[in-house]
Amino acid sequence: MITTILLDALQYLGYILIFPGFLFCFLIGMLLCGIDRKLVARMQKRVGPPILQPFYDFFKLMGKETIIPAQANRTVFLVAPLFGLAALVVIQMFIPIFSFSAFSGMADIIVILYLLLIPALSAIMGAAATGSPYAGVGLSREMVVIISCELPLVMVLLAVAKTVGDALGVGLCFSLSDIAAYQAVNGSLITKLSMIPAALAFMMVIPGETGNHPFDAAEAETELCEGMLAEYSGAPLGVYKLSHAIKMLTLTSLFVALFLGGLGTGIVILDAIIMVVICVVLTAVCISLVHAITARLKIEQIFKYYWTVVSGLALISLVLAWYGL
Amino acid sequence: MFKKLIADSTAKSPWLFHINAGSCNGCDIELVSVITPRYDAERLGFKLTGTPRQADIVVVTGPVTKQTLPRVLRSISQVPEPRCIVTMGSCPQSGNVFKGSYSIAGPLSKYVHVDVAVAGCAPKPEAVIDGLALATQILKEKREKM
Repeated sequence: MITTILLDALQYLGYILIFPGFLFCFLIGMLLCGIDRKLVARMQKRVGPPILQPFYDFFKLMGKETIIPAQANRTVFLVAPLFGLAALVVIQMFIPIFSFSAFSGMADIIVILYLLLIPALSAIMGAAATGSPYAGVGLSREMVVIISCELPLVMVLLAVAKTVGDALGVGLCFSLSDIAAYQAVNGSLITKLSMIPAALAFMMVIPGETGNHPFDAAEAETELCEGMLAEYSGAPLGVYKLSHAIKMLTLTSLFVALFLGGLGTGIVILDAIIMVVICVVLTAVCISLVHAITARLKIEQIFKYYWTVVSGLALISLVLAWYGL
Repeated sequence: MFKKLIADSTAKSPWLFHINAGSCNGCDIELVSVITPRYDAERLGFKLTGTPRQADIVVVTGPVTKQTLPRVLRSISQVPEPRCIVTMGSCPQSGNVFKGSYSIAGPLSKYVHVDVAVAGCAPKPEAVIDGLALATQILKEKREKM
């Protein structure tokens, strides 16, 4: 009795610290970030930094002095980046790797939707705690970006939930493990005609949610001195950079779980490798390519883009799903 | 082992902050050319940051006028340790053609310790990359002493 409880506890500790949890996120997220930087450099005809560059950046920042501004709220300033990181690691445990999922529940999608807000919100709180005017402008822009991305994201998730829910006869299916099981039997959702606009919309949401190039008005280093990160230095800045890298993994693996679920083999390690490879391809298409060919958008252009083009695509999918096509 | 990892990483990931202390803009343009595809300093890990708080190397251009001196010193004091100060061009080193002018407070080495000085008007991008690479080694030594 006690040994089974202990073994269960040990297993969950392993989940949290090693496999779908912290260590896996750290290594793969940093790798995605490094591949992104290398690809952008190659697209601009540069040699580019080594693929391990984000690791060097992270360990360097761990060894730097941390300056806390005199007028800042010390506790919020230091705790905010850790909250964001913790939320992202928790999301990663809810996202199934094809048939394997560490935690699963009735309404994973709703939980993920809320948890995806926490990194941005904690960054806003940390920025507000510094009292810097650059951070002030940055956080007001970040709020607009959150609002812009949230509407198409919710509609995409609703469309998927309705499609799978209709097939299973439960109305709306908000459980990611059920969605994965449905796709294992019936093939990936992206092969359904009604889901293609939703998949496109989700791919457009990825760079906005991660705050990557054309949508990085909140961290515009040329005009806002890094915006929300203006006063951060040393280890807290390193944690922010790590969160940004993990967010790339979170969103691309969420795409795999929602639209490409049927590709698993049943062996966990092989599945994880397949998922990472697809994540790399998605990063190359959605983040690196877009970064290399566009200039930074103004904040009202970001808002307009997400609420017309991307939301329109998601709405088409939602309407089609609602009529059972 | 962890300390060695951090010291090695410090040498491989230097982030630059650029201060214009009354420069004629010649050196500033040459500094930007260092990160273009032709010279691509990013392959050594160099990156321009927008805020002194995130910088490792401070690049100062211009003869340090009386107007800019307090701002230059304040910006440099905001850079967390370990940090390196690199002067670019002849102006912050000697005053160059502005030497003796009533409005010049330089050279910079009168006020702060300068680690690397790259001479020239303006220095070639190769010379700038050489100076910055030297600065990364000084950064690593400073980190090891911490």
